Amino acid sequence: MSGLKIQKIDSVLLEQFRFRNIADLLSINTPVLFKSYGPGQLSTVAFRGTSASHTAVLWNGLNINLPTLGQTDFSTIPMAGFDQLSVQFGSSASIVGTDAVGGSILLGSSKPQPGLQVMLGRQQESFRNNQTQATVKYGTRLNKNWDFSGKTAAYDGNMNNRYRHPERNGEAISPSSTFQKGLVQDLFFTNNKHELSAHFWLTDNTLTNNPENPAGRQMTRIQSSRAMLRYQVEGWSLRTSWIRDVIDYAVGDYSKIDHAVTDRYGVRGERTFEWKAGKSGSTIQMQTGGEFTHYKTQVENYERPVISENRGDLFILTRWQTSRRLLVSVNLRQAFVTGYRPPFTPSLGAEYRLIQNRPYTVRLRGSLARSYRVPTLNERYWKDLGNPNIKPENGLNKELGAEAGYVLNRIHSFTGNFSIYHNKIDQWIYWNPTNNFRAENLQLVVSRGLEMQLGWKANRENVQFGSTVNYALTNTSQEKIFDAYATDIVGKQLPHIPLHTGNVTLFMQYKNLRLTNQIQVISKRYTTADHSQSAPGYCLDHLIVETTLPWRRYGASLQGRVNNISNTFYQSINGNPMPGRSFAISLLLTAKTTR
Amino acid sequence: MTMKQQLTRILTVTLILAVAWSCNQSDPAPKGTYVQGVFVINEGNFTQNNGTISFLTREKNIADSDIFSIVNGNALKGGMQGYAIAGDQGLILVDNSNPGSDKVEIVNANMFTTEASIGAPDIENPREVIAIGSSKAYVSNWGTLNSNNTFPAGYVAVIDLATKKVVKKITTDKGPENMVLYNDKVFVGNFDGSEGKSLTVINTATDAVSRSVPFSATPNPIGIDANGKLWVQAGLDLIRLNPDTYETESTVKISTDMSKSAGNFAMGPDLKTIYFVLSSWNGNTNRGETYKFTITDTAVNLTAPFAKRIFTGLAVDPRQGLIYAGVTPSYTQSGYALRYRSDGTLVDSVKVGIAPTGFYFR
Repeated sequence: MSGLKIQKIDSVLLEQFRFRNIADLLSINTPVLFKSYGPGQLSTVAFRGTSASHTAVLWNGLNINLPTLGQTDFSTIPMAGFDQLSVQFGSSASIVGTDAVGGSILLGSSKPQPGLQVMLGRQQESFRNNQTQATVKYGTRLNKNWDFSGKTAAYDGNMNNRYRHPERNGEAISPSSTFQKGLVQDLFFTNNKHELSAHFWLTDNTLTNNPENPAGRQMTRIQSSRAMLRYQVEGWSLRTSWIRDVIDYAVGDYSKIDHAVTDRYGVRGERTFEWKAGKSGSTIQMQTGGEFTHYKTQVENYERPVISENRGDLFILTRWQTSRRLLVSVNLRQAFVTGYRPPFTPSLGAEYRLIQNRPYTVRLRGSLARSYRVPTLNERYWKDLGNPNIKPENGLNKELGAEAGYVLNRIHSFTGNFSIYHNKIDQWIYWNPTNNFRAENLQLVVSRGLEMQLGWKANRENVQFGSTVNYALTNTSQEKIFDAYATDIVGKQLPHIPLHTGNVTLFMQYKNLRLTNQIQVISKRYTTADHSQSAPGYCLDHLIVETTLPWRRYGASLQGRVNNISNTFYQSINGNPMPGRSFAISLLLTAKTTR
Repeated sequence: MTMKQQLTRILTVTLILAVAWSCNQSDPAPKGTYVQGVFVINEGNFTQNNGTISFLTREKNIADSDIFSIVNGNALKGGMQGYAIAGDQGLILVDNSNPGSDKVEIVNANMFTTEASIGAPDIENPREVIAIGSSKAYVSNWGTLNSNNTFPAGYVAVIDLATKKVVKKITTDKGPENMVLYNDKVFVGNFDGSEGKSLTVINTATDAVSRSVPFSATPNPIGIDANGKLWVQAGLDLIRLNPDTYETESTVKISTDMSKSAGNFAMGPDLKTIYFVLSSWNGNTNRGETYKFTITDTAVNLTAPFAKRIFTGLAVDPRQGLIYAGVTPSYTQSGYALRYRSDGTLVDSVKVGIAPTGFYFR
């Protein structure tokens, strides 16, 4: 969709964060805010001032948010699970569907190169934490027409979190341990017309809070199995998928386990057309298709033991390159859910190349988009508290932006990216405390803000250096008076969302040695809706030293990292102090066949 | 006179004068910001561990929302479950959502400065505190719940305020909660979701259980009335009990509508009036009213509620006779304490902390 801001994470960053999770990478390199209870513990997103369930997380185009909770715990998604990562800012419901209200996070698999490549890596961290990964990529010609390639990867993470100082500023760091395993399998069969690919991603994440307390410990295990088959031929694209999410929760002696299983069976078909339209260079591209997903969920605390429903989507996405400068897109989508009527979600976007073919370029963009969020299964079916009559949320996102690039000379180049947005979300679902926490469509939330991203790169023969700066101003508030006491909260910044966030990355590279300094700033956050309590802002500083030692077909990448150099006391969620200074060292060995 | 003798004389005279002057003073009033007024127990939002104790003087309608932080510079870090004063010491019950982190914080009652803290394993899920004289306090504790969220037998922790330690744990029925002191007895009732259907009687001289009185539903002791009788709520029954013979003398049915539940009982300082909230799930909402019952009534007059709304806490100020009623709009914003006269007219409304559930008058 044109007119939307998309930030693609480059391979250098993906490599640099290879042993960490998405939240670590994005919170340091994008304006997206993540809230974490601690290392290996629940980590949720607040994209442009929205809630954790207003961000769609897509794996090869498939929404992988847990359907019961309607969100993703980013501590369970390590970087080792995928090859590509990009962030799509703002509502893109017309393309993505539900949840894409504040933004979307897109994960993808890439087709490996021909040949054989083997990678083995290990990271050792403070607090007796470690991560291990093994990846094999392969590609070969099968016969005259067909190529085959694939990737098999396994990862294993142990977060024991044995803090040397279990208290910070007199407050206990909540004890926890997390064990994580995953397996990724991608297979691609291609010839010049057809591409058939299969993708599998199995994850298993066990978080234990208070592991040393036999009566009070809490175990949360999330296992996800994701499988997908894709086929593309001459403008046709077909996809079938299956996801099973299993959540187990137990306390104390684990004699009673809350077991929740949700299956999603999906099929999607899409056809792309392209026409030349009159003048030279003017083209119209249209993608049209539909999606169908069958949900089946078994959750003990739901009103019925087995609940199933069907969801469908029909969409038409058009891109009209009217001239070399102007690109306009009009997208239409209608979703269908058993017993529901999600809103019709059209969107309009445009991009205009104001200045091009000069040392500097300027591109303007704008978009107007409707969005929606289908209530989660918990919001509808939870015994007593869920509300079967709850309506989908619906939003309207407006934004304008500009992107500029400037090549000063053969050494220095600069980039800039600026956006302003206004996102209004009506029927915002709220677990109403005055109503014994029943889910209700009570609120109207307006989020408005600006985002600024500046980059600088300098390239000399053996030396490179550069910097990126992100700043976001996020003003998000509840605007509807729904009871007598709502006047105490109306118009006030939503709790846990800072008004200002920013980060700065500075790097310097000499030959194969790279030094990176990362700074994160989060301003004060209110912890209650009426602003009667707050948590102070903080600033963190991290340092990374990396080197790569290539030798013939082999390579070794060594990374050393200091997190929170200044040992700053901070809390991402109030009442949960984060650990102080910590260290990590990692080694990645690679071997590949010559081509 | 040597220098030394002179000095001794001066000191002696000074001392005599000082003693005489001090004898001249009548029993000095305690000094401190919190000597007289109303303490509001704000439970807070459980997982945020942000409960507070608010304080207001009776003449004002503005409260200090978190006096522990104001005085001590750090928060109590938990949900607030209770407050009581024994002698010169105040005991705050702090229930943290992290297991093993609950505590009783002991403060100077007049200044609110922290003096000691008693934590696990002595204190686990503390629910209510009462003073037994000036040097001892009882704290009812649920203990750690079973893995399937059922209740084990609870206990009353006996705190010796001289040593500031738990000197004994007295085992009770499941889910011990409210306590009523009568002469040398303490009646311990149970949380209504606990299935603990016996009222535990503790002898305060021996700190031992002297009796266990069975009920058909979880008993909740309300108070001793003007005639020296104990009132107990069990389900929708209001029961008058002889506190010496443990015999039931009368039972008043609050309502025959089993969809309703009664709670937040408070006895007025005249020891003849009982206020409580009666609520029910009406479709989507928990609705109800607050009623007033006189101990001589044979039934609750359900047609004339004291207030046509529900509250999260109720108490009557023994000094002024005003009824303090806690309002919790949500767990993410400050609540209010409404003050009513005994005829049901509203005096004013005071903004307090999150989820006001209890009041302590001094």
